[in-house]
Amino acid sequence: MIPEQFNNQTNELDALNRRRFFATSASGLGTLALASLMKQDGLFASDPTTQLSHIAPRAKRCIYLFMEGGPSQMDLFDPKPKLNELDGQPMPESILKDIKFAFIQKEAARLMGSPRTFRRYGECGMELSDLLPHLSTCVDDIAMIRSMHCEQFNHLPGQLMMLSGSDLQGRPTLGSWLNYGLGSESQNLPGYVVLATLGRGLPGGASSWSSGFLPSQYAGTLFRNQGSPVLNLANPTGLSSQAQQRSLQTINELNGLRFDQIGNPEIASRIKAYELAFRMQQTAPELLDLSGETKTTLEEYGVTREDTSKTNTGFMGSYARNCLLARRMVERGVRFVTLFLSTWDHHSSLDSGLKRYTQISDQPIAALLKDLKRRGLLDETLVVFGGEFGRTPLGENRVNFKKVTGRDHHPYSYSMWLAGGGIKGGQVIGETDEIGWGVTKDPVHVHDLHATILQLFGLDHKKLTYQFQGRDFRLTDVSGNVVEKLLA
Amino acid sequence: MASTQNALSAEPVNFIRDVAPIFERHCLICHNQRVRMGELSLHSADALVKGGENGEALVPGDPESSYLMDLVTSTDGVAEMPKEESPLSKNDVAIIRRWITEGATWPKDLMLKPPVLWSMKPLQRPALPANFRPTPQFRIRTPIDVFVAARHQKAGIKPAPQANRRTLIRRLYLDLVGLLPAPQVVEAFVADKDTLAYEKLVDQLLSSPHYGERWGRYWLDLARYADSDGYLGDSMRPHAWVYREWVINAINEDLPFDQFTIEQLAGDLLDKPTASQKIATGFHRNTLSNTEAGVDLELYRTKEIVDRVNTTGMVWLGLTLGCAECHDHKHDPISQKEFYQLYSFFNNTVESSVKVQNSWEKEEYEQDMQKWQPAYDQLQAQLKSYEIKDLTEKQRAEITKIIAAYKKSTDLKKLVSFYQTKKNGWDKINSKLDQLLKTKPAKPSTKAPSFTERKKDRRDTFIHVRGIYNRPGEKVTPGTPTVLPGLPSKNNNLNRLDFAQWLFQENHPMTARVAVNRIWQQLFGHGIVATPNDFGTKGAKPTHPLLLDWLAVEYRERQWSRKAMIRMIVLSSTYQLSSAANASPNNKDLNNQLLWRQNSYRVNAEIVRDIHLTASGLLDRTIGRRGIRPPLPAFVTDVGRSVKWPASQGSERYRRGMYIVFKRTVPYPMLMTFDAPDATVSCSRRERSNTPLQALTLLNGPMFYECAQELGRQMIKQHPDNLQAAIQEMFMRCFSRPASKQELKYLSAAYSDLLQLADKQSKETKQTEPPQLTAMVQVARIVMNLDEFITRD
Repeated sequence: MIPEQFNNQTNELDALNRRRFFATSASGLGTLALASLMKQDGLFASDPTTQLSHIAPRAKRCIYLFMEGGPSQMDLFDPKPKLNELDGQPMPESILKDIKFAFIQKEAARLMGSPRTFRRYGECGMELSDLLPHLSTCVDDIAMIRSMHCEQFNHLPGQLMMLSGSDLQGRPTLGSWLNYGLGSESQNLPGYVVLATLGRGLPGGASSWSSGFLPSQYAGTLFRNQGSPVLNLANPTGLSSQAQQRSLQTINELNGLRFDQIGNPEIASRIKAYELAFRMQQTAPELLDLSGETKTTLEEYGVTREDTSKTNTGFMGSYARNCLLARRMVERGVRFVTLFLSTWDHHSSLDSGLKRYTQISDQPIAALLKDLKRRGLLDETLVVFGGEFGRTPLGENRVNFKKVTGRDHHPYSYSMWLAGGGIKGGQVIGETDEIGWGVTKDPVHVHDLHATILQLFGLDHKKLTYQFQGRDFRLTDVSGNVVEKLLA
Repeated sequence: MASTQNALSAEPVNFIRDVAPIFERHCLICHNQRVRMGELSLHSADALVKGGENGEALVPGDPESSYLMDLVTSTDGVAEMPKEESPLSKNDVAIIRRWITEGATWPKDLMLKPPVLWSMKPLQRPALPANFRPTPQFRIRTPIDVFVAARHQKAGIKPAPQANRRTLIRRLYLDLVGLLPAPQVVEAFVADKDTLAYEKLVDQLLSSPHYGERWGRYWLDLARYADSDGYLGDSMRPHAWVYREWVINAINEDLPFDQFTIEQLAGDLLDKPTASQKIATGFHRNTLSNTEAGVDLELYRTKEIVDRVNTTGMVWLGLTLGCAECHDHKHDPISQKEFYQLYSFFNNTVESSVKVQNSWEKEEYEQDMQKWQPAYDQLQAQLKSYEIKDLTEKQRAEITKIIAAYKKSTDLKKLVSFYQTKKNGWDKINSKLDQLLKTKPAKPSTKAPSFTERKKDRRDTFIHVRGIYNRPGEKVTPGTPTVLPGLPSKNNNLNRLDFAQWLFQENHPMTARVAVNRIWQQLFGHGIVATPNDFGTKGAKPTHPLLLDWLAVEYRERQWSRKAMIRMIVLSSTYQLSSAANASPNNKDLNNQLLWRQNSYRVNAEIVRDIHLTASGLLDRTIGRRGIRPPLPAFVTDVGRSVKWPASQGSERYRRGMYIVFKRTVPYPMLMTFDAPDATVSCSRRERSNTPLQALTLLNGPMFYECAQELGRQMIKQHPDNLQAAIQEMFMRCFSRPASKQELKYLSAAYSDLLQLADKQSKETKQTEPPQLTAMVQVARIVMNLDEFITRD
């Protein structure tokens, strides 16, 4: 789409547009005061020369609820009564033969049933686990995919696959692709924001929101949910807001003088960047200020919930807060918000682990869906829920484990769900076999999911490309089919 | 190239004259004897009749039934073939049609070959252009200027004037050493009447040890240098810096590029390799490595080799070999088999290490011991009083052994039988001992990552069918792509050293072109070829092909001296042009493809930091050695798994940006915000974005603010009650030029407003800092936030 040799020049081209704009403003740059500059339209991480839309878009924004570690699908989303029956039995050898595990010792492995109870909910009658009492009230809005699959059975390759369509570090993530393709709608905030509720950290760290080979302006910006939200957002200690504003005025005046003198368009971009930085300083703290939210909203999300757990204390409130902040961000035009919740990697203590993690996440996520719907935002906001893979129907009998209390990584079939943003809710897509090993109907590969998400945003996944190292790279590599059933 | 045959002429079509040129030009790149896209080749009559995956392509005598006609005939200006190109001209299509109608005759045994890629054509020194007139505005200082001026004149473009001396000295400093000139150096240069002043300055900078840092960092981008493994484990590579230091030293010593290359690719295979030559092989140890529990080790071993092949291809051959990992290269004449032949050069390497002894490490250790020892000696004395009665010599020896072997607190439990542990104060003394042993300086044991060749159990290499590592296809042996000049066939056991030497064979067309283009890129912001890692079909074409070849030959003939090439380029008039966009009224060449001016661009991430430190005088100029960790808030480091980030102390905090420890999963945010590469793959050209996060970093980042504070403090001290003088000095330090009247006016107004605000604030908050200082710091902050500061003009 954009030949590589022009990449360096996109800023220049962008700047040329601005130069034309500035050339027509009678007052000249040097005398423009910051206050008036602030009224002008801003472009954050967006570049008019690269914007494109191939198909009529259904979604404008996305909230991606990333469940790091791999939540167990047969305990949450995909009931397997037969598996419960076969609890303690070995796996059919035909299946085991060609399979690799991260930790399970194949020969001694036994199937492990689920202690959870499933019931049907909503008009659609979707079956969900008893661990999801809140989500069960939203089933008519969500499309459950029980037939997700991929090849990556280790965390980081799996997460990179899910987030960037490749198991290798260095590729742009979904949020970067969308901002690259569509630009940002927000005048004051980055187009791609990341919030994280983490225990021991993410396997990929910042590569989980990297812009890869796309310019850095398309990378996700990590936000804190308290205090000063963005690194270096707050003025240095003791520097007042007036002093900041007065300083910025002179910075722009002097940059304007230089621009008049030598005409390098990059200076105009620099002026713009400083205006936006200042606007972000004004806006971002307001984003975190929940005092304008009603008590009902705060309670619905569970922001004020008490969290007495000894491990990861405070996650309940923190995740609830992140969900509410996600809504506030999409309200303000942020294109892509990723909420990481770590970790669902339950190799052991699956039961207590799932209880804890659903306790943290179920209520706020359901509240988010309802809140978005109530405010009329759900139609254009795509919500995605899922991890990098699912978990095995086999119990995990790792060498040094005394008891089998968990499940290993399982990329061959797992569940994810989507809602809003052009998704047809109240349906289940795909099926797995009776023990939940493999997909038996309507398989959805990660590339298919990505193709579908891009389509919802009006982008043809085969056309959204970027030339790098002599190749036209796509989010979907060389495959991907839009899952038509998902579309409303 | 266009066919001379008119489609309507009565004369029969002549294949060689009329048809072959069309095929060669438009079809054979993708459809030749070797690369057969869609399994189709147009290299011979048989191949054409045989057709591809869609069956026969041609029915002699019957164009209507010939699939080839369907493919090339356009509807609404679009044709299926040639792919990603404009359709063939109507005339060309008509010629093919007539040729088929007339029976599609193809001279017996005639084989068509794809056109040779420009970059693979033999490299010869081109003659200097003769068709240009010297002009007074643009002096011809070097042959480079002749090539550039000829293009200006051909396009009717008037070049910009030469830049002034202030701009030139700042440009040279930034380009050659990545630092700023001190004001007095600038003034001396401006006043210097010596006609060789500029040349002398260049020589002085090229012999500065900071030159190796600046140009070393470019190389580290290519080498995807980082201080950690990447992936989930992302373990630290505590001695990776030894390779970085090797690069800096090699470049400072101007190690010729051929030798520089050979040592990095195959230093271990040289005759009696020195430690330095072994350290050089660290180049390919910079690859990411996945140590996540439960991973398929063989899969990730093969991924590392694929990265090594790709990197080697991009850095030396300017070829995107990676495209041939899973199938024959779709655009360039590299087959999948050839990819795995190159792969096999790297398939028998063993990761090893080289012991490194640095005198500074020893000194550092001795100093640390000197600090540590007294407390320990004192404790030893105290311990005496706890000894059990009648300790034998043997027991004493035992104690010494236990203490020497100390690793963790519980090790001290072994001492209990020798001491009166019930005696009052033992616990305290025991924990003090524990504390001291924990902080005992470690003896230097630096081991640089390196490569050696596997001697036993050598691996065979097979093609990976569709790139899948555990689906072996044909067995291959080491070899180089057939499209490039062959190796002298001295034996059948080619190794990495043969490969590295092959790159510098006299008849190798790629290496010199690719290498010299990168030097040019670092001095102009853009390469003559805009895609420095791709000289293939899909890469950019050179804007000045003759100049590129001339420079490439020159590089080779100057014995691959990087310094000689840089010197020659920066002495040219072309390099010394003004970079102002309005320097000459030229609207035809907005992107400066024809080099009518220098380019102006934001400096690299590390240099943004370095010049702040230079201008404020805080810079610690230590070269090489271990990396540093400038302070970072926990929420940044917490996103990675178990990231330890103990902030560097003392002046170390103010070392150059290139020494910031690069942890791949938690890269230093300031570097990433300013487009430093993420070190996942080789990077030959950085992006240059211009974003609000950059503004926030420069305005509010603690290190940047500290620089402004320091500069402000110094100005108050040096120029008390003389605002004008202070502003002038700040301008000299930051921009190598004095401030204009208007700039003084703006800054004076800002100072007085800021002083008022500071005064008000100091009364309200009872701050102890004098308001004059507060205001001066804020003025320094304004100056350091100007676009000009981080721009190389």
